[in-house]
Amino acid sequence: MILEAHDLVKRYPLGDGSVDALRGVSLSVAKGEFIAIMGSSGSGKSTMLHLLGGLDRPSEGNVLIDGVNISQLNDEEATLTRREKTGFVFQFFNLISLLNVAENVALPFLIAGDSLSTHRERVDALLDLVGLSDKAKHRPDQLSAGEQQRVALARALANEPAILLADEPTGNLDFVTGTEILDLIWDSCDRLGQTIVLVTHDARAAAYADRVLIVRDGTIRDEIELGRRRDHEARPLITRLAALGL
Amino acid sequence: MRLATLAWRGLTARPLRTALTIIGVALGVALVSGTLLANQAASEAVERAAQEVLGKAELRVRAFDPAGFTARTVETMRRIPGVLEAAPVAERRINTSTVGGPDEKVFAPLLALGVDPETEQAVRTYDLEAGTFLSPGHPEDILLNAAWASARGLAVGDELVFTGSDPDVPHAKIVGLLGDLGVGALQQGNVLVIDRTFLDDAFKAHAPVTFVDLVVDKGRGGDVEAALNSGMAEPFIVERLADAQIQLSQAQQGFAGIAFLFGLVALVVGSFLVANTLAMTLSEQTREIGLLRAAGLTGRQVMGIFLRQGAVVAVIGSVVGLTVGIGFAALIIGFLRSTRAVLVTGLPINPLALLIAFVMGIAVTLAASVFPAAAAARVSPMDALRPSLQPGRTLWGRLRWIVILELVVVLLGVAAYPVDRGDFGVPGIALALAILLAGTALTALLLQPLSRVVGRPFEWFFGAEGLLGRANLGRDRARTGLTVSALIIALSAVVTLGVVANSARATAERWVGSVLPGGYAIRYTLPLNIDTQQPELENVTGVAAVTPIADFPAVVREGDKQREASVAGIDPAVFSATGSLILVHGERDEAFRALQDGGAILVSEPVASRDHLGVGSTVELAQPGADSQVFRVAGIIAYTLPGRSADGAFLISLTDARERFGADTAEVWAFVKQADVPDAAFRSALEQRARDDSAELLTAAGLSSDLERSLDRVIGLFDVLALLAVVIAGLGIVNTLGVSVLERAREIAILRSHGMTTGQVQAMVVAEASIMGAIGGIAAIVTGVLMSWAVVGRTASRDFGAGLAIPWPLLISVVLLGTGVAALAGLYPARLAARIPIVRTIAHHE
Repeated sequence: MILEAHDLVKRYPLGDGSVDALRGVSLSVAKGEFIAIMGSSGSGKSTMLHLLGGLDRPSEGNVLIDGVNISQLNDEEATLTRREKTGFVFQFFNLISLLNVAENVALPFLIAGDSLSTHRERVDALLDLVGLSDKAKHRPDQLSAGEQQRVALARALANEPAILLADEPTGNLDFVTGTEILDLIWDSCDRLGQTIVLVTHDARAAAYADRVLIVRDGTIRDEIELGRRRDHEARPLITRLAALGL
Repeated sequence: MRLATLAWRGLTARPLRTALTIIGVALGVALVSGTLLANQAASEAVERAAQEVLGKAELRVRAFDPAGFTARTVETMRRIPGVLEAAPVAERRINTSTVGGPDEKVFAPLLALGVDPETEQAVRTYDLEAGTFLSPGHPEDILLNAAWASARGLAVGDELVFTGSDPDVPHAKIVGLLGDLGVGALQQGNVLVIDRTFLDDAFKAHAPVTFVDLVVDKGRGGDVEAALNSGMAEPFIVERLADAQIQLSQAQQGFAGIAFLFGLVALVVGSFLVANTLAMTLSEQTREIGLLRAAGLTGRQVMGIFLRQGAVVAVIGSVVGLTVGIGFAALIIGFLRSTRAVLVTGLPINPLALLIAFVMGIAVTLAASVFPAAAAARVSPMDALRPSLQPGRTLWGRLRWIVILELVVVLLGVAAYPVDRGDFGVPGIALALAILLAGTALTALLLQPLSRVVGRPFEWFFGAEGLLGRANLGRDRARTGLTVSALIIALSAVVTLGVVANSARATAERWVGSVLPGGYAIRYTLPLNIDTQQPELENVTGVAAVTPIADFPAVVREGDKQREASVAGIDPAVFSATGSLILVHGERDEAFRALQDGGAILVSEPVASRDHLGVGSTVELAQPGADSQVFRVAGIIAYTLPGRSADGAFLISLTDARERFGADTAEVWAFVKQADVPDAAFRSALEQRARDDSAELLTAAGLSSDLERSLDRVIGLFDVLALLAVVIAGLGIVNTLGVSVLERAREIAILRSHGMTTGQVQAMVVAEASIMGAIGGIAAIVTGVLMSWAVVGRTASRDFGAGLAIPWPLLISVVLLGTGVAALAGLYPARLAARIPIVRTIAHHE
């Protein structure tokens, strides 16, 4: 398994007491698998993604990425593991406004101490993958929302991470642009063997996944196995969700 | 809720930023008030010293002839109607040592003032720190400057030996120690007061009575002066209190003005801090202000909120600044007293000086608040709905406020400038300030291209952190520009100070080197006959040539007018052969030939320029009452030998001096070494000779380093003032980067999520700060050197004749200082950046 979580609990202090955002979540993701985590607002799905990606530390339990228990690492070690093994795509693109498109894509390399020129081929390939080869020198504010998210995706894939974690990547995009992004994510999984963990509340986005985990009140309530399909029709998933009363 | 509450909450919402801004203003006000109080202490000291030096005497009659007044002339003065008391003072330079033995200490020469103890007490009160005044019947009693004695481990009751005195005369005994504010202030404390009869007896020679202080009947000063003019046979000069003040205040000239200017620089830097802080507050609160405007708040009310914030910072900063300023003044005064660079009293708490500093603090801070307040008033209700709107962030929009701010402070400064501007005339200051203004504004405008070039080494050193740090500078160019500008101003002050000081040092070296042929001289305590002394001195081992410098007083006549002048007779052959004297006009060989032939004169450049003299002009020199001797100007020289007057000496040939003015004696003798004699051996031979003759050995190197040391003492103080301004600019960087980090918290969180470690985040912010510092340092070098040029190039050649001497190591140090201070200032924002929580920050922004 490329990603494992065991009995994850995330507790936040609230007044004199505390509130549990996650209450004992366990899961495992195989290499090359595409899973989607669904749930309503406040269900704990984003918290789960942050813990799985090593952005936050669980109050209890462990997360293993590619065999490394990141929950036991200090901040420095967790950061380095994150740098090597994960890629993130957020809802609001979150590009670095001061860097151009190519530099944003190369950011993981730059952070690792390498120069853009050393990784020029990889950056060009990624820009080609997301269809932005002609905009390598553009600044983020010169791009459309969809183009910005494509850059964010290219950046997340730059260092060939063990897992790509995407948090509502289409939440801020229109239907057509959102579909383009999901197609790209799926393509990276299907063609390049990239492992994907996608958090969404949109059944249309979740329908791209091989497996869908339903989160409610901080626990995984259900799991829907969709299998790898070229057709990303959302209807079968919606039907299954309806059967579950969602 | 009142608007004042909103204003107050705006400040308390960011306590650290507010505190830093207040500290910035406080430091600026502290420097202004501190320097004003120190200036007050210096001018009061001069006034008091002059009053105590003259005592009750209204007139000081100074002998024109170095041989002094005869006893009969003193008696004549005493008998003039209206003269109540006449106190003659004899002057003689003497060398002293402790009583012989294994611990014998030999001291540098002192000026001995020989007085009549009884008359003296009737004329002036001596400011004694310890012991008693000279007692009649104890002629061996002496008074010394307390600080001089203390530095040499001497106390009341100790005995001193006068080198070369009659061995049968008893040792001198210290009975009292003089404070710094009376007679003890003369000769920078290198003074000794003694019974005149003892001085004569000790050396078996009559010490010349060089002046007589006259206590006159009230209102009869004019009559006495008229009687002196009509009844005195010997030539004399009459001085009054104002003349004594001028003489004593020579060391303080320029000090007060420059010190105040540095205080002002600090205040300008502080005002930048205020303007930037309020602009940042505005940037943060635009949405809230838009909402308030939507709810009905008028633009004027919004402006009021910001002005109130400025007023709070101004009042608290100024009050704290005054308190700190008093302590700061005490430190400056303590420093000046310890270095004896400038005469000062104790700490004066002058309400006017404090009021000026307070008003300046308030005015400058409020002026700095006007821009952000005006920009805030322009925020429209629609701004609440637009994302990330930052009004007034155009570069020129803020730069024009730099210009206005600087102009306001400069005008305030010029209006409140406390002393005469001396050689640093208004055009020089104005040009220097204009260069400063242009330098800061240009740097702010060119920040982007500059950061690309200056940031390159940082990108190389820090990697991605350097790249991102450099890129961040372009995020808010106006804010960065304002912050860097403040640093440039402070660092420019350091550069200007260094370049001006170095130029002055180079000039001092060039001056001493050019007027002392051979680089060695012996100064005797009394003038010696040339015919008898010269053969003796020629016998000193290793001497190739010895030349007396026969200086004497004279008058320069221009039609009916005449004024006092110093003339020195020199040997043209020796001066020519040793390459001495720098001719700025006239052909060198011809000039020396003309001097040799007689009837020719060399004039120093400042005098030639003032009196419109050129090569070929004539100068009429005379001794009082005698016929004029006409000399043709053979050359204009850059520097001349020092004389009794501030102009220095006119130089004629020794033959002319002896034949036309009867100058057959010389106190100073210059020596030229034989080429094959080692320097050390020659020096040792001269030292021995000087010791044997109870005289003082002067070397070009020693004189230069004395001049440099006294210069360095004052420059050291100004350096501290300039460095404090750099500290204030550093606070500005803390403020700017602190806000910048909070503004881009999301980006930092994203970088962290992509694997940037906390150390890398910190390095990124420190790199950003360092690049700012390096840009500030480099711009300050250009600005500071140009400002120095404005000051040095436009000032009399006597002060900076060697031109602009660039201290390269200092310039490199300034870039390192700017970078270092900025990097230090970046540490706190860097820690803030490293602590940004990834998840919470991303979640908050989404």
